[in-house]
Amino acid sequence: MRSENELIKLLNRDLNLLSFKKLRKQNISIRFENEELVSGLNYLKSQNYIHLATISCVDWIEDNQFELIYQLFSYEDKISLSVKTRINRKTSKFVTIKNLWGVAKYYERDIHDFFGIKFTGNDNMDELILENWNEIPPMRKDFKTRQYVDKKYDWRQYHGQE
Amino acid sequence: MNNKYESNKWQEVINWVQTRSLFMLHYCTGCGAIELPPTMTSRYDMSRFGIGPAATPRQADILLITGYLSTKTLRRVIYTYEQMQNPKFVMGFGSCTINGGMYWDSYNTIKQLDKYIPVDLYIAGCMPRPEAILEGFLKLKEKIETGSADGYKKYNKEYEKYKKNQEKVLGEVKRRQ
Amino acid sequence: MILNIFGFLLMAFSAMALGLLFIGIARKVVARVQKRIGPPFYQAYLDVFKLFTKNSITHGFIFDFGAIMAFGGMITTLFFVPVGPFVLYGMNGTLLLVIYLMAVAYLGMAMATVGSGNPLASVGISRALTQMLGYELPFIVVLLTLIYSSNTSSIIGIVQTQQSGFMNWNLINIPIGTAIAFVTLLGLMGKKPFDAPIAPSEIASGPVVEHGGKYLAFIMLQHAVSVVVKTALFVDLFLGGGNNIFIFIVKMLIVWLLVTLIGSIFPRFKVEEGVLFYWRWPLIAALLQAVIIIF
Repeated sequence: MRSENELIKLLNRDLNLLSFKKLRKQNISIRFENEELVSGLNYLKSQNYIHLATISCVDWIEDNQFELIYQLFSYEDKISLSVKTRINRKTSKFVTIKNLWGVAKYYERDIHDFFGIKFTGNDNMDELILENWNEIPPMRKDFKTRQYVDKKYDWRQYHGQE
Repeated sequence: MNNKYESNKWQEVINWVQTRSLFMLHYCTGCGAIELPPTMTSRYDMSRFGIGPAATPRQADILLITGYLSTKTLRRVIYTYEQMQNPKFVMGFGSCTINGGMYWDSYNTIKQLDKYIPVDLYIAGCMPRPEAILEGFLKLKEKIETGSADGYKKYNKEYEKYKKNQEKVLGEVKRRQ
Repeated sequence: MILNIFGFLLMAFSAMALGLLFIGIARKVVARVQKRIGPPFYQAYLDVFKLFTKNSITHGFIFDFGAIMAFGGMITTLFFVPVGPFVLYGMNGTLLLVIYLMAVAYLGMAMATVGSGNPLASVGISRALTQMLGYELPFIVVLLTLIYSSNTSSIIGIVQTQQSGFMNWNLINIPIGTAIAFVTLLGLMGKKPFDAPIAPSEIASGPVVEHGGKYLAFIMLQHAVSVVVKTALFVDLFLGGGNNIFIFIVKMLIVWLLVTLIGSIFPRFKVEEGVLFYWRWPLIAALLQAVIIIF
């Protein structure tokens, strides 16, 4: 069992980290370049970070970037690790990690549903949660929710309403 | 004339029996499902009104929709509703089915259930307590007894209107029997 | 001839009425056990009446035929089981015939399942037939012991051997066998520890998943008749039958209430657990009883 500081020291020695941050107890966030993410995840998996809890995504519309966050957890260190990388928002393409964790293909389909990011190498990009969606993906910041709701659904009319 | 009178009497008997034996299918989408176990079990015991849970849509009389419906679940609700046998009644449960409730501006949640399937009775609240559910059942019984719970007839009559509304939110709806 | 047909019809209808009454009482009893008020005792009549007024949808000829076969099979079984003084057939061998006829109802259900094409229904019926393998084995061993000890295989003959008093009942003569038969009766009726075939929360009521309206009403009537048939068979074989119909019905009611009370407090066996349960101690005890009786 390693402490947080030991882990950061180890990662700094072996990997080419862009930045790291100790968020709170047993919680560390590290950041990679795009190209180094897969090899970094591979290394972490060999260091007993075998649990991929989820892949999440943030739309940084002002920086014109998407941020992908891979949540890893080690049952030995009891540390959860947020592995982050930023990709270009225009191309919105990234590589799949389904060879490392099989479950990742569903997380990637999910992200494709809601952010429209394509993962090369993951062939099945059918809709997982949405159905018959032909607007821009709903979790992007430039998707106007209210406008869409006004167009698609009717508001209930109450008595005495203008 | 005489024949019609008799058939009305017969209809009254049928209505009377139907109010005392209702099988309920609950479509638990949202948080409303948690209010049903106390309604069914010892604390509130709805079986003393002759209302019991049914396992499948084919056997059910009441479709109780407990909570919000996203477009994807609405499709399943429509299949479920069309699998049920006449006479069938729908109860909307919680404010989500009435006007979207706390999901009023969600891109994926329908706002008014009665645009897509005919709703005989709404139970307002977020969440309604078991007392409110029982009150709703008693109101529905009154409506059945007077014959004013005729949502299924309306669905047959105004099928085109409902179908247009359904297709507006869902795209194509495959009809199954 | 016409009088005969009238007798058959009367027996069938009164069995349905009695069975529905039993089911209503059982629902009330279960409710009281669970500290509920429960539905009125006539609830089962209302349910069946309401189901007959509903629209219903068929899934083809096989489906219809299966429902009729299940209902008709159970009614036919009823004619061979003496209910109090009403004995329609008293010839030798009725006991074995009844055991075979009871399977017809299940086969009818299986047929309706094939017609409906619902996967949950096929899961349910395969569970029912698997479970049948389990409980029939100890049950048959007990029945063969019974036939050996009373020297006849007609049900009415077995009843007659027990007529002269309480001490002649098979309950006293073969006590272990009676207990085993009671345990197998739970499985035979599909009551609570052994209700995996119709488990509503797992496989949506199993074989009857596609039965709606009038079809479900027929299945409920079939269930009502099966309650009468199975309790009457148990009373005939082990509790001395009865010439007085009221005493007979009271005996049936006691058996049914015992079954209900056991059912109201037990959770459900998995189907393979149920089969293994029957093949372990009940089978051993039944064989032991057979050895005791024969030697």
